[in-house]
Amino acid sequence: MKPLQLLIGLCLGILILIIPPTQLQPSPLDALQTLAVQLDGRKKPLDTVARETVAKIHGSTNYRLENNQTLNYLQTYLSLWFNNRDWNQEPFILLTYRPLKEKIGLDLEQKYFSFAELVSSNLGAIVLEANQKEADNIELTRDEREALTIEDRLALMLRTVGTDTLPLVPHPSDSKGTWVSILQSQQYYTNEQITPLQQSYQTLKQAYRLDPLLTTVEVGQVAETLHQQLAALSPEIYPKDSVLQREVNFSSFRPFSKAWKIYAIALLVLLLGLSLKQLDLYSGAVGIFLTGLFIQGYGFITRMEIAGRPPVTNMYESVVWVGFGIAAIALVFELIYRAKYYLLAAAPLSILCLLLADSLPAVLDPSIAPLVPVLRDNFWLSIHVPTITLSYASFALAMGLGHIILGHYLVAPQSFQRISHLSKFNYRVLQIGVLLLTTGIILGGIWAHFSWGRFWGWDPKETWALIALMCYIVPLHGRLVGWLADFGMAVISVVCFNAVLMAWYGVNFVLGTGLHSYGFSTGGSELIVGILVGLDLLFVAGAATRHNRWLLSKSTENLVKQLSNNQQVIAKEN
Amino acid sequence: MLEHTLKFIGSIKLAVPLLSMIVAILIGATFYESQVGSTTVQQEIYKSPWFGALMFLLALNLAVSALYRYPWRGARKIGFALTHLGIIVIIAGSAAVIHLGVEGMLPLRTDTASNNQIRVEGEFLEVMTPSSELQQADVLIKPDGSVMPKQIGKLSLVGYSDNTIKTVSFTEGATADNLAVDNPAVRLRLKSDRMGQTLERYLAVAPVAYSKVGIGPAELEIIQVDTVATGKGKSLLSPPEEQNLSPWGSIEVTSKEREKIDTEIIDIKEALSSQAPDSSVKVVDFWPDFRLDSNNQPSTASQQLRNPAVQLEVSTLEGVERWFVFGKENFPPVRSVVSGKPLEGIEISYNIQPQQSQDYFRVIVTQSGQLFYAAHSSKGFKSGTLEVGKAVSPGWADFQIILDEYIPHGKINREVIPVLDPTVKGVPALLVSTETGTQTWLPWGEPTTINEPTGEIFAAFSPKLLQLPFAIALEDFIVERNEGSDSVAMWTSKIRIEDRDHHVISQRNVWMNHPTWYQGWKIAQASWNPGDLKQSTLQIKREPAWVTALTWTGSGLVISGITIMFYGRGVAKKLRRQPEESEVPLYYHSP
Repeated sequence: MKPLQLLIGLCLGILILIIPPTQLQPSPLDALQTLAVQLDGRKKPLDTVARETVAKIHGSTNYRLENNQTLNYLQTYLSLWFNNRDWNQEPFILLTYRPLKEKIGLDLEQKYFSFAELVSSNLGAIVLEANQKEADNIELTRDEREALTIEDRLALMLRTVGTDTLPLVPHPSDSKGTWVSILQSQQYYTNEQITPLQQSYQTLKQAYRLDPLLTTVEVGQVAETLHQQLAALSPEIYPKDSVLQREVNFSSFRPFSKAWKIYAIALLVLLLGLSLKQLDLYSGAVGIFLTGLFIQGYGFITRMEIAGRPPVTNMYESVVWVGFGIAAIALVFELIYRAKYYLLAAAPLSILCLLLADSLPAVLDPSIAPLVPVLRDNFWLSIHVPTITLSYASFALAMGLGHIILGHYLVAPQSFQRISHLSKFNYRVLQIGVLLLTTGIILGGIWAHFSWGRFWGWDPKETWALIALMCYIVPLHGRLVGWLADFGMAVISVVCFNAVLMAWYGVNFVLGTGLHSYGFSTGGSELIVGILVGLDLLFVAGAATRHNRWLLSKSTENLVKQLSNNQQVIAKEN
Repeated sequence: MLEHTLKFIGSIKLAVPLLSMIVAILIGATFYESQVGSTTVQQEIYKSPWFGALMFLLALNLAVSALYRYPWRGARKIGFALTHLGIIVIIAGSAAVIHLGVEGMLPLRTDTASNNQIRVEGEFLEVMTPSSELQQADVLIKPDGSVMPKQIGKLSLVGYSDNTIKTVSFTEGATADNLAVDNPAVRLRLKSDRMGQTLERYLAVAPVAYSKVGIGPAELEIIQVDTVATGKGKSLLSPPEEQNLSPWGSIEVTSKEREKIDTEIIDIKEALSSQAPDSSVKVVDFWPDFRLDSNNQPSTASQQLRNPAVQLEVSTLEGVERWFVFGKENFPPVRSVVSGKPLEGIEISYNIQPQQSQDYFRVIVTQSGQLFYAAHSSKGFKSGTLEVGKAVSPGWADFQIILDEYIPHGKINREVIPVLDPTVKGVPALLVSTETGTQTWLPWGEPTTINEPTGEIFAAFSPKLLQLPFAIALEDFIVERNEGSDSVAMWTSKIRIEDRDHHVISQRNVWMNHPTWYQGWKIAQASWNPGDLKQSTLQIKREPAWVTALTWTGSGLVISGITIMFYGRGVAKKLRRQPEESEVPLYYHSP
């Protein structure tokens, strides 16, 4: 390891982080963005409300107007809030599911629809039917589930456009008390207290009408006054500025999205170093990778602070956590063995995890919501889930290494020494995975003992975790008696990861039964995952064909065998 | 030979196929479970003897393999032995949990007394034969409706339906002391083409419960009289006298003028047909079932007096106002000024008798067996003679009533029948057959008598219950919500444990993930009813302490075993190397 290069790598990573530097400067709209709103069971800054609302209705945080002008989430949200355009007619609501569009008679090529279009379509009839079915506990069809999603969007639209009921006014004494809107504030406060408040609110509306694109500082200044007035009403209850600002900064800084970009750069540098033999960029790549890990860790901790609870409680968080785990485990092994290949295997996987988390808000919902009761307030749970997901990360890393090894078998089967090294590295990762998964399962058993009254009950999620573990344990035993060698273990690392996928994702999305139902959700794209798994298995089959020389004639096979034996002997002598 | 077998039992050559087989079974089981549900899979696979045997074989394999490799020298071997031993202990513990544990649900309410009977999963059947032999057995009902076991005592279990209703029919032949007993009964068919509905109802003079049957807003009744020429019979067949003198009610106007109070009562129906043009309170309009139509204009939804409302015009010297007053309580009048100043000191209340619902259809049977009917509806009163097969329109929408059968000596037959229509709410029932082939449905939770030539068999198909050695009362049930929303943050049951035997009364709080223990019984929050916050269901569970100890010990052994097996050697090597390294003087590092 070259310390100087490592340092340069680190600095480079940090440089990427802080570009563009404007993101670190305070925004003139800070006072507006940090107005506290009590919504969905917690107090959050208006900035988060704006982001979540626009993303939920529109599927993206930017809205492109008909004149090709683009509004960001804040501009869009304020336009909805203060209702300064005809939101009845704006094509704003996302609807992409084609069969549903066909069913309710909408243009198939169109992606966004106006409120008026959707309300006057046949959507209502389908929603009504779906509600009836839900009440009768009958399983919904995909069409109906999609229709309910659209209905949610419509309802959110109704709640948002021109609303005067946003709960901005704090409860006077109870930290868990219900907040009210500015117009209802006489419920808690005297007229002297609320008159200036209502004036500022009107001024804010006026200032916004004059400057709907928020180009001047006017709106920010009025918001500042309003913010101070609101905070002064109940200074004990109103969240601290620093708390609100932290969340605003977190959302605008987007550490997880930065992390995958940095991992990508580290990967490129690593590949460059591997392909150009005379150029040793390894330490630099490690440095860049390290910054990525830091920023992802920072993001994770900040998110924990904002949510005020243990880190891995839903699918989104588990995907980010697994991405982090892959990177962290790889880096630890890298620092021990200096193998290069750990990082090479880890970087694409971490990037994939973070990309998925970043770009699929409909499936992996990043919003921070209060926990369901069963997940609350439990020590065993808060260590069981991170442990078990960390084991998924190890097996993911092994899967990555498995691919590299199989790739060698496919294109460079003569590099025995490297393959044998790689296999040793892979074995180390499998070991840590087995240890973590066993520990995770057992911790889960202890939690289940407290929560459900039994250590083990063959719940599908439990059973699949055990299946996944056995899928690795069985080959590891087979290896002891020589039934499997390096090639076999590489295949196992790749193929058995499907069992982990099933335990992690499949039980919730494919089976959809059992006690772990709080992790369940709809809309998992089983088909896409299925296709990817299928392609991967084809790759394995290709490597196996090459390795076992299934496609060669007898005589060539003998020749190759002899040659490779010779080479193996030479390799050993060296 | 024995040596050889033993070696095989402890070998990886057995372990790998065995584990592979278990994995395959487990994968199949989880998919099967998503089809048929947990209870069936638990019963058919996880708790089945063959699965237990498989687990036993695995434990045996682990044990023999560990013993064969004795003495365990070196980190790897020690770790290996600990892990294998740990798994054996966990398998033993888990098996004990499944087979020795007791688990049940205890529904409690804040407004009822303490309870000590818990509902254990599953159903059971209790059979008492004529010779007073009592037999009990668990009954498992699979999702496809098949029943296990097939035979309990002398009853064979033939089938199951999750929805049955009890019906009653009357047939000719009521006897007492071999003499026919006079008990007129009829079978009526009600038919509506518009609603596509056909109903069938039996009416009988005795038992009294079947002499009057309600169907929606109307009532069917059978009445026996001596004759229709005089007395009660005659009055039944003649139209009822108009009892309600003001059918649309009346308003009471109270006006206060300079300490002088005037009260005026106006009958609505009367006022609408004839009222003085110069009266100060004018009745403008009346709606029996007031509604605002799509144009926000007052209208009536029906002709029934469901929400009666009156529009008035109140004029004094100061001004004219329009009033809407409502017959329902808690609906204050709505008033608006038409001209002049707002009026003061006027109060108007609207009194209307609740509608005498009575739509009825009466079958009147005379001593001589003649049949008459009397029907009442919103359209008026009708009466006439009733004949088998002839349809009568009582005036309820397009309903027709047809007398299908007249049974002079009605004998009651009660029957349980399965229904396929899911909108009919019934109870589950078990179909059993006796040795002589009599088939009987046993409704869930209700003891049934089966009449057999050899005597009566009593059978009860009921939920499995278990008596606790103590009782639990729910003192309070607290639901905490997330701030500013309706979503639930936590629910807590405040319970009181009453142990009479030990003279202990103990108050505990139970909430999610935080159970309480009493004498080895674990009491945990299971579920609640969002629609009824006085109710809470607790999970009660007991497992012997040594079982818990087993699983926890096994857990510790496995984790430490794997750690030692994988990393023991490396760490040991490091530790051995340490002294050499520490030969470097410590101060060498410090500045």
